[in-house]
Amino acid sequence: MSLLKNVSAGIPKGKITALIGPNGAGKTTLILAILGVIPHEGEIFFLRDGRQETTRPRIGYVPQRLDFDRGLPLTVLDFLTLSSQRRPLWLGYQQAKRDKALEALREIGVEHLCERQIGRLSGGELQRVMLAMAISRDPEILLLDEPAAGVDVSGEVLFCEFMTRVQREGHLTMVIVSHDLSIVTGHAEHVICLNRTVQCQGGAPEVLTPENIMAVYGPHAGLYRHGQDIRPGASTTCIHPLHHK
Amino acid sequence: MTMESLFATIYSLLDTALPFAWAASLFMKRAFLEIMLITPLCAIVGIQVVNYRMAFFSDAISHSAFAGIALGLLLNINPLLTMVVFGVMVALGIAKFKTRSDLPMDTIIGVFFAATIALGIAIISTRKGLSQTLSPFLFGDVLTIAEMEIAVTFALFAVVLIFIALSYNRLLLTGINEPLARSQDIPVKIYNYIFAIILAVVVTVGIRTIGMLLITALLIVPPASARNVSRNVRQMFWYSLVFAWVSGISGLVISFYTDMATGASIILTASLCFLLTFIISLVRR
Repeated sequence: MSLLKNVSAGIPKGKITALIGPNGAGKTTLILAILGVIPHEGEIFFLRDGRQETTRPRIGYVPQRLDFDRGLPLTVLDFLTLSSQRRPLWLGYQQAKRDKALEALREIGVEHLCERQIGRLSGGELQRVMLAMAISRDPEILLLDEPAAGVDVSGEVLFCEFMTRVQREGHLTMVIVSHDLSIVTGHAEHVICLNRTVQCQGGAPEVLTPENIMAVYGPHAGLYRHGQDIRPGASTTCIHPLHHK
Repeated sequence: MTMESLFATIYSLLDTALPFAWAASLFMKRAFLEIMLITPLCAIVGIQVVNYRMAFFSDAISHSAFAGIALGLLLNINPLLTMVVFGVMVALGIAKFKTRSDLPMDTIIGVFFAATIALGIAIISTRKGLSQTLSPFLFGDVLTIAEMEIAVTFALFAVVLIFIALSYNRLLLTGINEPLARSQDIPVKIYNYIFAIILAVVVTVGIRTIGMLLITALLIVPPASARNVSRNVRQMFWYSLVFAWVSGISGLVISFYTDMATGASIILTASLCFLLTFIISLVRR
C-alpha cells in the first residue's frame, strides 16, 4: 500500500518550508522518507550549488511524539550526549560534548532541565529538549514534525523566537509540519500542501490563499484567530498570545 | 605460558585473596572464576535487553538450547557447541521473521519458542537415555565447569565488552526511539542483528552456570534492580554490574553451605536485591 503518490517538490535551501495538509495526508510519512527511515520509490536529492551531494547532509529531526520507556534513568544531558558522544556514557561525559549539549539547551531556553530525567518531563519540555538535541548536531537540515504540539504558552513564545532567529540567520534549511496556522503564516517562506500527493507548492503568500487553506484545513479555518491578523507576513514579532485576550 | 600454568597461577592468587573454607577446593575456585565473568557479562548485555524489551526473546533463545543440546547428542557433536550455534540460528530466524511479518513480536517469538521446545522433546523422547544428560542444562551446574569453558567465557567477555564500549550510546538511543536513531545515521538494522547474535551466544554460554530456566533472570534482574535506584545512565551501568557480582558471589557461597543448586541461589539473591532496591525506590518517591 502506498501512502503517498507522485510527490515532486522542491525545498529551498536556507529557508523555512511548511508542510501542510489534513490528518492522514502523509506529512509524517514524507518527513520519514526524507530521513531515509521508510522505503520509497523515486529519489530524493540533496543539492549544493546546484550539484547533487555525494553524502547525505546532517539532519536534525524532532519527531511528533517520542514513544519511549519513561522509567529509563536517563537525564536530559545524557540524552543529548548519547547522539554526539562515542565514548560510552558510563565512562562519563567528554567535556567538549557536554559543553556543546549545554549550549544547545541554553539556546532553546531549557538549560535548567539538564539534570532532570527525560521520562519526567512535560510534553512541552520534552519537545524543547528534542529540539535542542536536533540543533546540537549542527544540522544543515532541520525536520520538525508538529513541534508546537503539547507546548505550553511560554514554550510557544520561545519557539517563535527560535524560528525568527533561524529565519534571520538563514543557514538552516527547515521543514516544518504544523497544524498551527499561525506558525505557518508567521514563519514559512515556502509552503507545500500535501494530501496523498502534492496539491500546491510555492512561496507562502502565493500558496496560502483562503481557497487553499480551506482545501487543506477545512471550512472552519480562518485567517483570523484570537482577534489577531495571521495573514501571511502579518506577524513578524513573537507576542505572548495571552496579551491578546 | 600454557593455559594450565596460567590457571595454576590464578588458583594460587585466589588462595591468598580468598582464605575461606568455601573457596578452598579447586571446583569452587573454578566456579568462582566463571561467576566473576558470566554475571557482569549478563548484566551489561541485560541492560540493553531491558531497554529493548527483549526478555521474552532471551527466554526463547535459552529454551531453544533444549533442542540444540538434543541435536548435538543425536548427531554425536559436542552439545555445548550445537547449543550455541542453534541458539544463534534461532535468534537470527526471529530477527529475520520480524522484518518480513506484520505479526506482533511476541507472537513470532512464541512460535519459535514452541517449535524449538517441541523439536527438543521429539528428539529426546525417541532416545530414552538422553533425558539424563539434560538435567545439568536445565538447572545449570557451575561446580563442574572446566577450565576450557572459563577460557571461552573470558574471551566472550572481552569481545562483548569491546562491542558494548564502542556502541553503548548508539544502542541505548536505538532502544529509546528507532526513527530518531536512524535520523542520526546509526545503522540500526546492523546493530540489531549484531546484538541478537551476542545475546544468543551469552545466553547459551550462561546456561552451563545458571541453567536454561533461569538464565534470562540473570540478564534482567540486576539491571532492573539498578534502574530502581539509578538517576542517570552511568549509575544504571555500574549498579547493574555491582548487583550482578554481589548476587553471583553470595549465591555461590550460599549454595556451598546449603547444598542448593548454585543457579537458583544466585537468582534468589538477585531477586532479593531487586526487592530491596524496589523498596528504596518507593521510599525515595
